[in-house]
Amino acid sequence: MKSWLRQHQYALGITVRRLIAQPFSTLTNILVVALALTIPLVGAATLVSIQPVTAHVATGPQVTLFLTTTAPAGVASEIAQRVRQQHAEDVGAVTVIPRDEALARLRSHPGWSEAFDVLGQNPLPDAVLVELRGSDFVTRADRLVASWRSWPHVEHVQLDSEWVQRLHALMRLARMGLLLLAVGVALVVLATVFNTVRMQALTQREEITVARLLGATESFVRRPFLYLGALIGGVASFIAIGLGALVLSYLNTAASALARSYGVEFYLHLPPTSWLLTFVLGVVLLAAFSALWSVTRNTRF
Amino acid sequence: MIEFSHVFKSYGRGINALTDANFHIAPGEFVFVSGPSGAGKSTLLKLVAGLIPPTRGRVRVNGLDLVRMPARARPYLRRAVGVILQDTHLLNDRNAFENVLMPLIVTGVDRHTATARARAAIEKVGLSGKENRRPIELSGGDQQRLAIARAIVNRPAILIADEPTANLDHASATRIIEVFRDFNRVGVTMLIATHDESLIADHTHRVLHVVNGRVTSYMNVPSSGQRSAE
Repeated sequence: MKSWLRQHQYALGITVRRLIAQPFSTLTNILVVALALTIPLVGAATLVSIQPVTAHVATGPQVTLFLTTTAPAGVASEIAQRVRQQHAEDVGAVTVIPRDEALARLRSHPGWSEAFDVLGQNPLPDAVLVELRGSDFVTRADRLVASWRSWPHVEHVQLDSEWVQRLHALMRLARMGLLLLAVGVALVVLATVFNTVRMQALTQREEITVARLLGATESFVRRPFLYLGALIGGVASFIAIGLGALVLSYLNTAASALARSYGVEFYLHLPPTSWLLTFVLGVVLLAAFSALWSVTRNTRF
Repeated sequence: MIEFSHVFKSYGRGINALTDANFHIAPGEFVFVSGPSGAGKSTLLKLVAGLIPPTRGRVRVNGLDLVRMPARARPYLRRAVGVILQDTHLLNDRNAFENVLMPLIVTGVDRHTATARARAAIEKVGLSGKENRRPIELSGGDQQRLAIARAIVNRPAILIADEPTANLDHASATRIIEVFRDFNRVGVTMLIATHDESLIADHTHRVLHVVNGRVTSYMNVPSSGQRSAE
């Protein structure tokens, strides 16, 4: 056991010595990997930051029936009742929003309050909010909307959840893009570490030959290169996290100002620590695998 | 200790480096491998060290069948066989002491023991005081001594040397051979390839004579000036 630990200690020591012996080359390789890793990391951080915001937005399909402003009082309740009776299987909750309540809600927003004061009378109509049921609502929604539009006192029918669906589709697209980007970056890490280890193996050719001559096992020969890959991956991923934090703090000044203009608090931030540790571990394993592959291929002499 | 049974070794098509070699070397023997350049001496030594496999036949070293031995077991054979090649393969990016330390690091010997054994090996070959010099700063004779120190530091049962005195004057060559004799006296089996007949002529020992890949064995007896064929 002690002998095994001593050999690992030697391998780690010689790896660090080799890295220090070529500072420019080492720094360049680490920076290439770090910069490549920063891009998907910032992308992932953006998605992670946006996710809670979109999670609070209703994703259930909703249809709002706006009545004419001249509709007599009580018509909204009648329409709500009719919807419940005629489309019991298609709809869930049906809620009446009287025009006074709608006005009160809008007045609670500081920007709108002054605008309504200028108008003098309530310009808003009564509305009936209908939640659709079932997973095939998309196919039924258009038919229902067309039907309700023809009802008396109904001025306008709006499928409210359309933009939310689009937003979620965009998020899915972004996630897929990020996944493809991550695969691309993984290939960059593989190629960079593979080539670095190949160059090192060629430089250390004489030492490898001597070590084999003296009875070194293949594990002994390959171990320093394995550490080389893992160290490059580890250091590069920590640098990438630092760079990612810098980029996000820079973007935050613009993003938070934009979010505040919509009355929302929003900050771009790095993913949680457990996520980052998994990221570092993943990169270390990937780089070590690449190093092992390279040293196995390039030391057959 | 070392047994060759109908061993053939070919490189590529039609280049027979060794043809039907049969011999046995007992533990503690001191054996010279002689013959002209290109006769097959280096091939014979590389086969003993397990550096190359035979094309045909059986090679047994230290009780191990090298043909049937799995590749992962070869490093452990090499630890039992000290090898000094014509090109010393010393590492110029580290000093003499670190070169001698290398086999001990490979086998995972603890630092304290390794240091003591490396110093003892350096002293044994007469390089004390030159531990901090890099191989390139040493003379040809000292480089050979350093290669010997590295080969013996792991206390191998067999020591093989390929033309260890090739680039040395006669006096230096004789001193190197004397170092080998010291190891042989404590039971190390010695196998030394040389084309220098004057080194062989001075002492009583067995000689494996290689010509065109064929090995013959005889006993050299210097006092009578005779060669007794076996």
